[in-house]
Amino acid sequence: MRKLVAAFLLTATSAFAQVTADTPNPFAGKPDAAETGHALFGKMNCAGCHAYDLTGGMGPDLTDSSWLYGGKPGEIYHTIAEGTPRGMPAWKDKMTADEIWQVVSYIQSKKQ
Amino acid sequence: MKTKFLGEEMRKSVLAAVLLCGAAFSFPSSGAPDAKPAGKSNTSFTGATANLAPNDPAGQWTRQARDYANTRYSPLTQINKANVGRLRVAWSFSDGQMYGHEGAPLVVGDTMYLVTPYPNIAYALDLSKTGAPIKWVFQPNPDPRAIGEACCDKVLRGWAYADGKLIYNLLDDHTVAVDAATGKEVWRVLLDDVTKGPTLTQAAFVVGDKVYIGSSGGELGTNGWFQALDVKDGHTIWKAFTNGPDDGALIGSEFRPFYPWMKGKDLGVTSWPGEMWKQGASAPWGWVSYDPDLNEVYYGTSNPGPRTPSQRPGLNLWSSAVFARDANTGAAKWAYQFTPHDEWDYDGVNENVLIDIPWKGGRRKVMVHFNRNGFAYTIDRATGEVLVAEPFGLQNWAKEIDLKTGMPVVNDAAHPVVEKKVTNICPPDIGVKNWNPSAFSPRTGLLYAGVFNSCMDLTNHIVQYIPGAPYDGMEMARHAGPGGNWGEFIAWDPVAGKRVWSIKENLYVWSGAVVTGSDLVFYGTMDGWFRAADARTGKVLWSQKLSSGITSAPMTFTGPDKRQYVAVYTGVGGGAGVLRRVGGFQPGGNTLYVFSVDGAGIGLGTSQLVSHSDVAAPVSVPPAAAHN
Repeated sequence: MRKLVAAFLLTATSAFAQVTADTPNPFAGKPDAAETGHALFGKMNCAGCHAYDLTGGMGPDLTDSSWLYGGKPGEIYHTIAEGTPRGMPAWKDKMTADEIWQVVSYIQSKKQ
Repeated sequence: MKTKFLGEEMRKSVLAAVLLCGAAFSFPSSGAPDAKPAGKSNTSFTGATANLAPNDPAGQWTRQARDYANTRYSPLTQINKANVGRLRVAWSFSDGQMYGHEGAPLVVGDTMYLVTPYPNIAYALDLSKTGAPIKWVFQPNPDPRAIGEACCDKVLRGWAYADGKLIYNLLDDHTVAVDAATGKEVWRVLLDDVTKGPTLTQAAFVVGDKVYIGSSGGELGTNGWFQALDVKDGHTIWKAFTNGPDDGALIGSEFRPFYPWMKGKDLGVTSWPGEMWKQGASAPWGWVSYDPDLNEVYYGTSNPGPRTPSQRPGLNLWSSAVFARDANTGAAKWAYQFTPHDEWDYDGVNENVLIDIPWKGGRRKVMVHFNRNGFAYTIDRATGEVLVAEPFGLQNWAKEIDLKTGMPVVNDAAHPVVEKKVTNICPPDIGVKNWNPSAFSPRTGLLYAGVFNSCMDLTNHIVQYIPGAPYDGMEMARHAGPGGNWGEFIAWDPVAGKRVWSIKENLYVWSGAVVTGSDLVFYGTMDGWFRAADARTGKVLWSQKLSSGITSAPMTFTGPDKRQYVAVYTGVGGGAGVLRRVGGFQPGGNTLYVFSVDGAGIGLGTSQLVSHSDVAAPVSVPPAAAHN
């Protein structure tokens, strides 16, 4: 965990502020990103709300075409980082920007 | 069960899943529906009785289960077997909220009280006027961050009336009291920090000057608690944590559990690794009952956290257990852990119905408890001794409950394995029955319950604790059990520990029940049917298809016009959402239906010329909240 925090402080602080809805996923096309994101999805307890198959439960289905807060990579990134007023926690203090992007890669890989 | 908690990984093998598939299912013993000659008589099947205190007037329904004992028995007889087939909608009311509806309306005097799921809006309806117009609306505006912390939909299981106040929980960890005459807030108290995971979904339960509240959050790494608040101003009179040191759990010199393995100092700490009890959940989110003679309250606790058992070797006391406590002081009198070191999410929060039964030539004061784990327990409520523990539905995780030790004898093949799929464990996490409350008739001596017939393929994952995020680890695929029907509605003999009759249903029967003085039992289905059955034979006498599935609890009352009505909320949701992709599952809804013989009464007929423009406007009718 200490390592994660350090990485966050050194490299990711500015990245949070710069992401917009149209920011492309810097991990797009990188073959390992979705797999790393998959592991993070379990490790950070995302599956507890969105289910291990991403079809939802406590939280919304992430495999369909309905996006409450936008389905572009930059919008998904923003939702994960900042959370939402209706219960999604903010993860920017618990994950690095790269980790969030890798989770975005995983979610994108599961879109139906 | 001996010491099966340590080194469980070693005993598991790939063979386990194979063996489990071939293992004999444990079906409940059951009499054929026509095998009971008592069906047409007025005699009791079992000789069981109940104290129906506080003995409210027959036509009133002032608490969720009608009485302290949680029988949900109404003595009303105007609607009977001869005329139940003529039940029609007298009037209906939609509240606009789309989360699951789980509570029963209350009727006090000429007023009906309803509270919606989040955002927990309260309505008072005037039953003395044509069309039951709104008297007042109360909007508490709970914190929307609670939406993301409630595991199983944004529900409320009920509300309470006492001392001229409507008292209920808000999802964001407040309890609120509203003046029942005016709809104005009297007090509001904050009981926990919703951003860390706990929510309040429980039905507040009132006895005398105290309202009893239990926390929710079995899947959120919470530290479960139960407390008594003062009805006058909401201040905490006593508070008992489920886990942790004896002091905080109010376990002291009065604590006398029946079985020796639950005796010892600070077991709520030492039966957990390190300090994991602090995130051990064990949240008392279910029903509370009260015995006025013993002056004790009874309630159960949820699954331990996290749901992955290999991370928390030990008994994990006091998860998946029932407590008896002194109603005035909270001092624990006894406890019994139904599922030691729970590995399958078998919460112990279901209702404890207090009845008295004939037992070995004498009589015993007992509680009857249909546990998620598939066993129906008849327990001496003065001592905590288990008298009967028999399966009431499909289960294969345990061979039996050993009545000498009180311990289940666990089927080795039912243990979950991290990162490996173990197939065909029965029941799945949601149990053979969930919180949906049963009913007891002192006329038949039987209990009536909606039950589930299903199993799961389970893969466990290691999880870490992150405050405010799920602390879970169970990945499941649920499937219907033998017969293909997901649900049933059953009559249960609590003395013999066996079924008397059952009605098969397509989906889980996740509705409560009410049974009446004319031996009618009412329940609803998730595919939207509301039914009345003969309480003696299980013959369905009347059914009405409604607008949504039913996962609430029906009730019955006498209106100011002296007519008997039956009421039920539609609005499928809550944990029942696990079947949302199964055929027949209904969209959500929010309509209360009120039935009478021929639909007669205050909402139907050629003479009903009064419109809502003739009655005073309520404070404000809120817009429907967006569904999350």
